[in-house]
Amino acid sequence: MISPIGKKTFQPALAFSLAGLFALILASTSPVLTFDVAGREQPGYLITGIEELLRQGYWPIAALVFVASMLAPALYLASVSYVSAACTLRLRLPHLLVLFKVSELAEPWNLIPVYSIATVVSVVKLRMIGGVTWNDGARWVLGVAFLTICAQQVFDRGLVEHRLEAMGALGNQRGEGT
Amino acid sequence: MTDAFRVSTARALVTTGALLYIPSNVLPVMTMTVAGKTEPLTVLGGVKELWDSNLPAIAGVVFLASFIVPLLKVISLGWILWLHGTDRNQRARNTVHRIVHRIGSWSMIDIFLLSVLAAVGQLGALGSVTADPGSIYFCGVMISCLLAAEIYKPRLIWESQFTTSS
Repeated sequence: MISPIGKKTFQPALAFSLAGLFALILASTSPVLTFDVAGREQPGYLITGIEELLRQGYWPIAALVFVASMLAPALYLASVSYVSAACTLRLRLPHLLVLFKVSELAEPWNLIPVYSIATVVSVVKLRMIGGVTWNDGARWVLGVAFLTICAQQVFDRGLVEHRLEAMGALGNQRGEGT
Repeated sequence: MTDAFRVSTARALVTTGALLYIPSNVLPVMTMTVAGKTEPLTVLGGVKELWDSNLPAIAGVVFLASFIVPLLKVISLGWILWLHGTDRNQRARNTVHRIVHRIGSWSMIDIFLLSVLAAVGQLGALGSVTADPGSIYFCGVMISCLLAAEIYKPRLIWESQFTTSS
């Protein structure tokens, strides 16, 4: 049964998630902060903290930070982009239902907005002992956080299920999966 | 996964979270070395340091996110699971579950803070940050509560004791 979707569309979710994915790539490849004490500088990337925690033997924390700040945001934003694009273009792309499920599973672990607040707090803490410079990575982290929150607000799961059902993708792919 | 398995797993996870909450606050989560002086910091020690540095707003945020939110999460989930299978306060439990789900992740601030500080704090005796065992326990509290809130679906609140094994 097809019921009216109204004025709600999938384009905002597609736009926010794609932009977020782009910002996440830049956030992951640019230095976030540079800390300096007595003329010695140390830049830090998203991955540097994870590597350092691994080096210190704290692999559970490193794994948690990796999942929550890099893997889950990437999976969430990529799966939302894929599903939103398929719904917008009415294309029955492969593995639609799997990626719809991935977006649901990755959402609670996507903690990049919390990471952005932690970055701000760490700057305050580091300024107590030395100099800190914001780098491009920090701006991109804040950007990913903002775009993730926007994507979460506009990505309507009920609407997606309705569209997938209308496209005949829900029943068929569920059938294939079982 | 059956509903009965969901309830028992969620109960086990919340109990684990409650037990780990104590060492996570007693043991230091990180050690900061500044100009040769080494100082281990607990969660509350980090808050006190911010407060003493005339940064009450930031201290308040960290205190809420790292100390109050995990405690509220453990208590709230414990209360929800304690009343599972009864029809008492179902609406309130549903609201609390939604709030826990929404604000629960903010307690990860301290773990991320450790990661950011460890990333740039590698300047030896001049300024360095290393993780301490308290952070592992803190991590355990976070994961236990996050998984418990995910496994125990809100619909289970509305089910009676006799329909949970379906």
